[in-house]
Amino acid sequence: MFEQLAEMLTHLGGKRIVVLSIGEYSLRFDLVATITMWAVTLVLVLLALYLRRGLRQEIEEKPNRIQATLDILIDLLRTQLSANFASERLAREMFPFISTVFLYVLFCNWVSMIPYVESPTANVNVTLGLALLVLVMSHVLAIRMKGAKKYIHGFIEPYPFMLPMNIIGELAKPISHGFRLFGNLFAGSVLIIVVTAKIVPVILPPALNLFFTLLMGGIQAFVFAMLAVAYINVAVES
Amino acid sequence: MQEAQSVVNQISGADIATAAKYLAAGFVMGIGAIGSAIGEGNVAAHALDGMARQPEMEGALMRTMIVGQAITESTGIYSLLVAIVLLFVV
Repeated sequence: MFEQLAEMLTHLGGKRIVVLSIGEYSLRFDLVATITMWAVTLVLVLLALYLRRGLRQEIEEKPNRIQATLDILIDLLRTQLSANFASERLAREMFPFISTVFLYVLFCNWVSMIPYVESPTANVNVTLGLALLVLVMSHVLAIRMKGAKKYIHGFIEPYPFMLPMNIIGELAKPISHGFRLFGNLFAGSVLIIVVTAKIVPVILPPALNLFFTLLMGGIQAFVFAMLAVAYINVAVES
Repeated sequence: MQEAQSVVNQISGADIATAAKYLAAGFVMGIGAIGSAIGEGNVAAHALDGMARQPEMEGALMRTMIVGQAITESTGIYSLLVAIVLLFVV
């Protein structure tokens, strides 16, 4: 039984690995996850371009339906996510980044509602990449806001011998950030697969899918974006 | 007695290692989940306390609660990772 389960898990999403060799090194891609990610990106970009057409109107006019809906959505993103930044200026500057991260992770989580599509965030490489993006963003912002000297000085606070501790602390952030998203999504998909294959293949799996993908996916996307806000805040402030 | 002895002789070291792997994965997940469950319950309980005392703060409390629970969940996620590594990698 365990062997069957292990086999099911290795076939989870096909795991077609493409190897690109450059000289003596080789880059390995999970083909399915890569294609799904690019598809999500394409959908988001097309959606944005399509919805943008609805916004081209004079300010004095009565807002049309697209304008009114997007106003509510943007306001929701602004008050729930971006308002948690330390300063007003930072919030205004980082709003596009944070809402893009949120929408991207949200759509990546929700894409597994489509049958036979696996969400790319259930792949650890995708989530770690996103977490590294947030890490680099927070450090670039810290250097820009505090200046290089103060930034480097931040690593030897409160005492110089704390330097290794501080560096490990910084490196642990993206690991826990990325693995949190991955763990939740992966555990949900494993549970759905086990229930479908071993217990009941009807009724229960759609309900589980509803809970794990729609609800937990939404919450995890929100948590991912909120933690990104928190990490940027800490990096910029301390 | 003779039969039991032959069964024992058939069990190799690899079998014991596999059994230990699955047992360890089960223990990791089961014991690891206790801590994060208690922690998340604490966070939710105190958030509810705060909400009952000050209902107008509900939005902010909810937001902070979800982030706090996500951070508390870390240990549970780490044990899940260890279990995955035990099951599929080791």
